[in-house]
Amino acid sequence: MDILIYGTINSVALALYALGFAMVYGVSRLPNFAHGALYVLSGFITWSLLNSLGLPYAVAIVLTLLLTGIIGALIYQLILIRIRGMEISEIMASYAIGLAILEGLRWGGFKGMTYTLPSFIEGSTTIAGIVVDYQRLLVVVIGAAVVGLLWLFTHYTRTGLALRGMAQDERAALMLGIDSDLMAVVAMGFGSMLAALAAVVLLPLGNIVVEAGYNVLILAIAVCIIGGLGSWMGSVIAAFLIGFAQILTVVYLGAHYQMVVALLAIIMTLILKPSGLFGRQKELEERV
Amino acid sequence: MNRRRFTVSIVLVVAAVIMVLAPAAQAADSIVLGCPLSTAFLYGWTAERGFRLAVDEINAAGGVSVGGEKRPFAVEVIDTRDLEPGVPVSEALLAVEKLILDKKADFILGGPVRSEAALAAMPLLSKYKKVSIVTTGVLTPKYSAQVAANYDKFKYCFRIHGEAKHLVGEMFANFGKLKKKYGFNNLFIIAQDVSHARGAAAVMEKVATKSGWNVTGVEIYPTGATDFSMGLIKAQKSDTEIINIWMDMPESAILLKQWYDMKLAALPFGSTLAAAEQPGFWKATDGKGEFTLCNVVNAGNAPSEATEWTMKFYNAYADKWGVAPEGLGASSSYMAVYVLRDAIERAGSLDPDKIVAELEKTDVMGVYGRLRFDPKSHQVIPATDPKEGAVGSILQWQDGKRVVVYPESIATGEILLPPWMKQ
Repeated sequence: MDILIYGTINSVALALYALGFAMVYGVSRLPNFAHGALYVLSGFITWSLLNSLGLPYAVAIVLTLLLTGIIGALIYQLILIRIRGMEISEIMASYAIGLAILEGLRWGGFKGMTYTLPSFIEGSTTIAGIVVDYQRLLVVVIGAAVVGLLWLFTHYTRTGLALRGMAQDERAALMLGIDSDLMAVVAMGFGSMLAALAAVVLLPLGNIVVEAGYNVLILAIAVCIIGGLGSWMGSVIAAFLIGFAQILTVVYLGAHYQMVVALLAIIMTLILKPSGLFGRQKELEERV
Repeated sequence: MNRRRFTVSIVLVVAAVIMVLAPAAQAADSIVLGCPLSTAFLYGWTAERGFRLAVDEINAAGGVSVGGEKRPFAVEVIDTRDLEPGVPVSEALLAVEKLILDKKADFILGGPVRSEAALAAMPLLSKYKKVSIVTTGVLTPKYSAQVAANYDKFKYCFRIHGEAKHLVGEMFANFGKLKKKYGFNNLFIIAQDVSHARGAAAVMEKVATKSGWNVTGVEIYPTGATDFSMGLIKAQKSDTEIINIWMDMPESAILLKQWYDMKLAALPFGSTLAAAEQPGFWKATDGKGEFTLCNVVNAGNAPSEATEWTMKFYNAYADKWGVAPEGLGASSSYMAVYVLRDAIERAGSLDPDKIVAELEKTDVMGVYGRLRFDPKSHQVIPATDPKEGAVGSILQWQDGKRVVVYPESIATGEILLPPWMKQ
């Protein structure tokens, strides 16, 4: 039972890390290597709004989501749009932006272990003899809600349908009058908001540290590669595969192998099915 | 017009030359302390603050007397980033070499902070004949063992703070008391996947088993791990009464929060548990860190009356930096500067071999007790009585305060159990 409960929590956390990355890549084919930095940045934005400006927690969270979304959209509109389609340049530029954000935070004095966000609900409960705190249960609830809302958004709203259209076939979307540049900016904004959402939900479990940006990026990439770059649902399924594999590793092999699981899964996927479990990219080439 | 332009040019060139040479001239007067530190981490910035406090005090008093001439200390810090995950040891070595070659450091104080990096830097210090005193991090027993095993090569290396073996001894002194008082017998060990912590965990397991403890499990977590639930559940299922934690990564705060949320009936007893050492820990965990114990390695890093100098240092640090000494590296770095000053003054020169000889003769009552180096291993001599040697300090968070509970000679309180553990 403990494996089921904490495996689910771990998996949903991984899905939250990865959804924003998957959305941006799915729509604009941009591997956003600044994703982890945006996650950490939004944690510090929330902390600053709470502690420096004294805003109510809910207001701070909403403002953080909006601000991070705007920052992400601006990064795309002002910098990344100029190198769109040049994959290596996109990786280098987004990674450089991520580094600048993380190093900038460090330079600005955001270092140490005392930056924390309060839990949404304090306390814990017992499920089948296993103690779980409410914040972790909320992670599962919010994660499930995000996946559901994302599905509704991409199937029943004009913007969501346009994003899906872009993800499926950009040229066809252009012929139907969808502004591909605008949609790429929107996707980056939404992707950044998802990174911020992951941050405000997950960071109350621990503390906000700059180094987390690199870990989040690695885990998001691992999930997306295994799920199939560009496939949102593939990312969710991959998150569950890695999440449970990590927990089983801790239980049966030892905690120090858990990071190896994600990296090993990337290597295995790249060898056996480079397009990932549900990826469409390169699928045709693989068949050929 | 041309003459005027020529004159202006000459003035500008002269001014530029003066500006370039002025720091060099000043540097020639100063004794440069090169400090390779991982400055974004607790053990890095506390060390820097300790150095700067001591240097300011010594310089304000006139500086260091070298062969009759008064010279000030100057501090040069380079961020080695060696406590950060994924940063290779070679980065720290480059920092040490840059301090020696570019910054013209006369002495190396502080780090590198990670044991692996400090061990790798030892041959470099020998190559350049730079006397070094490590003051923070670097808990591996191998450091002083290397000096003892190859004295002629590594004689320039000293360590002025406690090492893992001392910490293990201090831990077991407390475990013994808890066993006697509450009948505790089950011990679970959680360590970070780094050299000193892995080594300490192995020693803990061996010593615990030998001394009759039931070791219910050993979990090694990678640096940067963010979920400890399964390890804690293992501890819970095995009726563990003490969780011994060896972690200096920031994510250890997550472990302690999870421990509290699970209301685990086991006392978290950490060593180099950086997150819990800091005064800001209580606020950062909303009080969830209460009852956490951690070893801050030397007295002075938490409030106590170990010696007459302890609270003077504690208050001076708090006045200068706006925060009380925050953990490992603060008092030892502060004392390293004073010990070095004394050695330089006795030697009357900066000659490394003379300084080594004088450091070996060190015998001073410092912030954390009597400071002497073992002449073979260059390790500061530990004790439980500050009159005898360098004393450690184990604190417990009680009602928002860091209360020193060990050693008894300087303790200001006793170990308390959380309400859900009381027997």
